[in-house]
Amino acid sequence: MLLPCVLREFSRCSTLSMHCSRVLRLQQKLQPSERGLHTQAQEFIARRIGLRWKPQTRGIKNRSNKRGSQEDEWKSKNKTVLTYIAAAGVGMIGISYASVPLYRLYCQASGLGGTAVAGHDADQVATMKPVKDRIIKITFNADTHASMQWNFRPQQSEIYVVPGETALAFYRARNPTDKPVIGISTYNVVPFDAGQYFNKIQCFCFEEQRLNPKEEVDMPVFFYIDPEFDEDPRMARVDTIVLSYTFFEAKEGQPLPPLPGYSYK
Amino acid sequence: MSTAMNFSSKAFKPRAPDKGSFPLDHFGECKGFKDTFMKCLRDNSFDNSLCRLQSKDYLQCRMDNQLMAKEPLEKLGFADLKETSPSPEDKDAKE
Repeated sequence: MLLPCVLREFSRCSTLSMHCSRVLRLQQKLQPSERGLHTQAQEFIARRIGLRWKPQTRGIKNRSNKRGSQEDEWKSKNKTVLTYIAAAGVGMIGISYASVPLYRLYCQASGLGGTAVAGHDADQVATMKPVKDRIIKITFNADTHASMQWNFRPQQSEIYVVPGETALAFYRARNPTDKPVIGISTYNVVPFDAGQYFNKIQCFCFEEQRLNPKEEVDMPVFFYIDPEFDEDPRMARVDTIVLSYTFFEAKEGQPLPPLPGYSYK
Repeated sequence: MSTAMNFSSKAFKPRAPDKGSFPLDHFGECKGFKDTFMKCLRDNSFDNSLCRLQSKDYLQCRMDNQLMAKEPLEKLGFADLKETSPSPEDKDAKE
């Protein structure tokens, strides 16, 4: 197979580079495998004869192919990197939107902050069953603001209840002054964690209560402790809950800020 | 009062009562029932479970005298007291 190539070269070398294009054309008609051997033979002969022009077709194509393939490689790499970055960006935005309901779920599960506790409703009072073996002592505390002149005190120092059972407790308030005084109260439950289980059905807090001069009234608190109190592992060692009320004087003309979750009738 | 300087996540948040606020009993219309209830508590070493009947009577008095919105007793957690008749049998029913 080499012989016809050699013969072809000898026939060509006499005409030198004028027949370059013809050589090229001839070469392009060849099959790739044949071309490979052919070009090898051409190079060998060129070296021997000293032909300066070398049909460099394969080399040129290879070089441009190499350059092209490198550029393509870079381009594809850039594309994949860009795709990854774009996906990460979209993922971050998605996470920030999804975090709101996820955080709410997490708060309900863990009970942090107390506000996201699964709400208790009026139907629960009708259907709840008292947990008879868990007795909790509720102690009562009554305070007044320094400038408040009422005598405010609880009528019982403590009461023993069980979760799931409604209970009634009384406070007494007396206005010893000669002027009607309007008071408003708020409450506090200690320990704080137990406060989320302490549900008041009706009481005297958060509304203005007016006492005429020298008047004394009984103020009841009707409450219950959620039966789920018994199932909470964090409440396992809680035996005493302190309910503390504080009365402040409500001055005329001072508007109350709207309390969350409290509807004014 | 829970102070604002409490940085732990478990600060206390007061919640409004379910049924709002009791109107004040200026005229002492239910004072008798209240006294019965307090006496019962004192006799039973402040055990609420034994004095539920008296508390039901007090709330019933309040409802009768327009001092409380009328509610069926089940909604106030007195479903077991409603079926039985006064005290001695009531204690047996609660057992």
